[in-house]
Amino acid sequence: MSPPRVVVVQFPGVNCEYESLRAIEAVGLRGEIRRWNDARGAVRNAAAVFVPGGWSYQDRIRAGVVAAKDPVAEAIAEAAARGVPVLGVCNGAQVLVEAGIVPGIEPGAVEVALARNRMPGRHGYQCRWAFVRRGPARCVFTEFVDGDAVLPVPYAHAEGRFTTSDDDVARRIASGEGVAMTYVTPDGERAAGWPDNPNGSMHAVAALVNPGGNAMAIMPHPERSTWLHQVPTDIGGPWGRARARMDDPLAPGPGRALFESLRRALS
Amino acid sequence: MSEHRPDAILRADPRDVAAVRACLAEHGARLTVDEYARVCELLGRRPSVVELHVFDTMWSEHCSYKSSRPVLREYLPTEAPHVVLGPGEDAGIVRFARIDGRSVCLVLAHESHNHPSQVLPVEGAATGIGGIVRDVYCMGADVVGVLDPLRFGDPDGPNARRVRDIAWGVVDGIAQYGNALGVPNLGGETVFDATYDDNCLVNVVALGVVDEDGIVRSRVPDAARDEPFDVILVGKPTDASGFGGAAFASERLSEEDAVERQGAVQVPDPFLKRVLAEAGRALLAWVRAEGIPIGFKDLGAGGISCAVSEMAQAAGLGADVDLDRVPVAFDDLPPEVIACSETQERFALAVPARVSERVLAIYNEDFELPHLYTGAGAAVIGRVTREPRFVVRHRGAVVVDAHVDAITTGIVYERAAEARPRVMPTRRELAARREGTGAAVDPVADPAPSDDGPAATPEAVRVRLLEMLGSINVCSRAPLYEHYDTMVQGRAVIEPGRADAAVQVLVPGHRVGLAVGLGSCARLGAADPYAGGRWAVIEAVRNVACVGALPVAVTDCLNFGDPEDPAVFHEFRESVRGLGDACRGLRVVEGDDHGVPVVSGNVSFYNQSATGDPIAPTPVVCCAGRLDDVARARSMALAEPGASIVLLGALHDRLAGSEYERRYRARGGRDVPEADLDAETARVRLLVDAFARGHVSAAHDVADGGLLVALAEMVLAGARARSGADVDLRGALREAGATREGDGDLGAWLFSEYGGVLVEVPAPRADAFLDAARARAVECVVLGTTRAVAGLRVSLPGGAFEVDADALEAARRGALEEVLYR
Repeated sequence: MSPPRVVVVQFPGVNCEYESLRAIEAVGLRGEIRRWNDARGAVRNAAAVFVPGGWSYQDRIRAGVVAAKDPVAEAIAEAAARGVPVLGVCNGAQVLVEAGIVPGIEPGAVEVALARNRMPGRHGYQCRWAFVRRGPARCVFTEFVDGDAVLPVPYAHAEGRFTTSDDDVARRIASGEGVAMTYVTPDGERAAGWPDNPNGSMHAVAALVNPGGNAMAIMPHPERSTWLHQVPTDIGGPWGRARARMDDPLAPGPGRALFESLRRALS
Repeated sequence: MSEHRPDAILRADPRDVAAVRACLAEHGARLTVDEYARVCELLGRRPSVVELHVFDTMWSEHCSYKSSRPVLREYLPTEAPHVVLGPGEDAGIVRFARIDGRSVCLVLAHESHNHPSQVLPVEGAATGIGGIVRDVYCMGADVVGVLDPLRFGDPDGPNARRVRDIAWGVVDGIAQYGNALGVPNLGGETVFDATYDDNCLVNVVALGVVDEDGIVRSRVPDAARDEPFDVILVGKPTDASGFGGAAFASERLSEEDAVERQGAVQVPDPFLKRVLAEAGRALLAWVRAEGIPIGFKDLGAGGISCAVSEMAQAAGLGADVDLDRVPVAFDDLPPEVIACSETQERFALAVPARVSERVLAIYNEDFELPHLYTGAGAAVIGRVTREPRFVVRHRGAVVVDAHVDAITTGIVYERAAEARPRVMPTRRELAARREGTGAAVDPVADPAPSDDGPAATPEAVRVRLLEMLGSINVCSRAPLYEHYDTMVQGRAVIEPGRADAAVQVLVPGHRVGLAVGLGSCARLGAADPYAGGRWAVIEAVRNVACVGALPVAVTDCLNFGDPEDPAVFHEFRESVRGLGDACRGLRVVEGDDHGVPVVSGNVSFYNQSATGDPIAPTPVVCCAGRLDDVARARSMALAEPGASIVLLGALHDRLAGSEYERRYRARGGRDVPEADLDAETARVRLLVDAFARGHVSAAHDVADGGLLVALAEMVLAGARARSGADVDLRGALREAGATREGDGDLGAWLFSEYGGVLVEVPAPRADAFLDAARARAVECVVLGTTRAVAGLRVSLPGGAFEVDADALEAARRGALEEVLYR
């Protein structure tokens, strides 16, 4: 029997599709990049769906919003509703949010926004490393991530601040509902301010998941820390030490755990 | 042979100088009267309007290298066994590594977008990236990185507001384009100096990876002799943007240009480029699988006319293009605009006519270009002809009909060169000028006014170290490169800013590494252009060796003033001579006597101030190197306590061109650091070998800011791992002949630049490393050890000083952030 197929949806303007595919294949899953206008059927039959980062439709109007209206987004929403694992990273996270898939308290409703980063002394797009930890919400992508593990992951965005104007949604997120990953200090404490919280995200949220625990929108890039060579030499902590001693550059990096979780969920 | 006489032939008789001048002015052409006459000679008649514009572009300095070519030919080594394609086509290519039995090649291209960025910083810088990546894509390669060496004016000088606006605009333009395109930024150099007050420099390097058997050429394939070939244009609909862009890059920039010439700047669209890159990838995969020969060329300077005529000429064939078939953004564009505009995001293809339909379908249907961008798409605009003529039609009339050789022949000038010594003004001189007291100062002949005085005590050195770290040209570059995506594509091993060169895996999933570093030293080059050229190469090569990579090839971008000024041309020639000598002299491959070849490059002239002063000669060199295993790469971060800190080199007090001189001295001098190419070769070979053996755990070259700054940077890079350094410089100072305590300026010895390379050697490896250095006769001196305290302790004659990492970081953190983000 061939391994399950994960479909990487290539909206026009995305630019992380190839590394996303490699992260999937690194855990032994079969992946496939499908162009937006050739993806609907594949998404309907997919074991999991990956919406990668980039600039889908040039971020016209607002990041993620045009892709969220694309016919293939409907198929992704249906898959999410059926419990199929759906992962949106960076621009993919913005698409899942704009499509009302995440946090998905009421599926189809846009309940949160990914607003412009708030940083002291800077503005706009920033690309750095952050530390994340598993949140309280159950999620197919974090199920097998050690609850104490502090994972270094890079982020690269201008609009990554989870926020909401809906009091009920705010209250739920404050209580940890739907919070799949949070930004933390290098020691694992919840991030209190910049730079640990890279964008001013509410309650230091790095990733939200739908109530089914199968559709996650995450701003930093786990696929970009899937190999040890991708981790900076000077990041400190256990991963910094592992990187400094690196003998095999192709050994797993910290982000690999999320894809391992997916693999275990699918097998 | 048929010859049509094109419509709209110009009336100006080449012998009637007044008429020619009037005609050239009427059409906004930058050709000289003599060049017009030469065009008439080549064509055997007067040119048509469209032909005038074609020649105007082709014979611009930017496209023709008419001033620089003889010098480049004379001095630059371009050949080596691993060079697949040297300078000449859109990019250079070298054989880089064998992976899974395939020969994987590296593509290098270098470009400048100086004048457009001065006029419209965001668009100018963005299209700089947009243009250079096309040069790499059209070789059939994936683009895996860009670097952007930048030069801006004095952020606190008389043009401070404009300088800061340009700096942010350029950085943001690079970010907007590169980030969206999904190409990682692998480094840059950002230097602020009054010489660039009215003329910023925005250079761009692009790197690509392609299998040797998958290289595509920018020419019509030979198969076009045997079967019909179409010419296909893909991308953005043609508009009037960038019309005259190449000529614009080849003239002096004046005040009124700022507004008037905005139309010559192209309009960037990274989204469209990203989709075009994916469609191109699909196309290439298909033609490679089917064995279909194609030609693929970027549309840059001169647009359709230049691209198509050059593709045909390279094969000894011709082309017949119908402008009515070109997708356009507006109706009624004049034919010369359709034929010559530099509208971005376009490529030309030459494909067998039998597959044209499928090629169009890939762009127009599979990737839906017309739906994603109004008017975009692929269209057949003409055909390849066996007769070597370039024919262009518009509304049924012939508007160009010339032999392809006539169009691509080009012209060459022998420019006069004459030395006119100069040195760049120091901070103190600039301040005096601003106050109106320094107008009559002759920076060369006059005796120096008093300077800031010597740093004679350890405490004075400590204060200057913190000041130097806060200098705009030395401080942390993080606020800048953190605005760029440095990791997209997932190849990162060492990100820019963490080492002297950025390192990536060449091919994901494999251990072979690609390292890239930059070198240039304009202030030093002003004092001695030949030395400036040499040091630019040495620094770039050293930077690559400092991560453990073997230097493989370089690409250069040569930024100078007006080549018609003999003093500037002298600077140009001397810089190139220095560059060539260094490339030849650095025989870095053991047992092989070829140096490091120059495989591509760019020349940018006419960079000068509003009052006509040429910029400091600014040759920028980018070096690419190979690591057989990226696990052996190391950054500049001190990694472990108890290791030795070794200087491969010696202290010296030659300050010409240094930041220390600019900051503390009254006048610039001519005492440039000595460059010994044999010693440098030995040093590079030692480093490459020591990294491969795991004998080095960190390395950093002594460059901007000198030895103490380099040490501080190594401490800061390793601060998260709580690594610090304790060095005793008394022996090295004595050895170098520095004056005894209390006499003279210790700062000159401790902040002079290019004195060598600092390495951290783990204790168990120290003996083996020092033996190897001795065996290669590499000068080296053990300065101290690392310790588990994040800070720097320095022993000097007269005592020691200590600074903790937080204080070092505080000193270097804010300056660039303040300039960029306000």
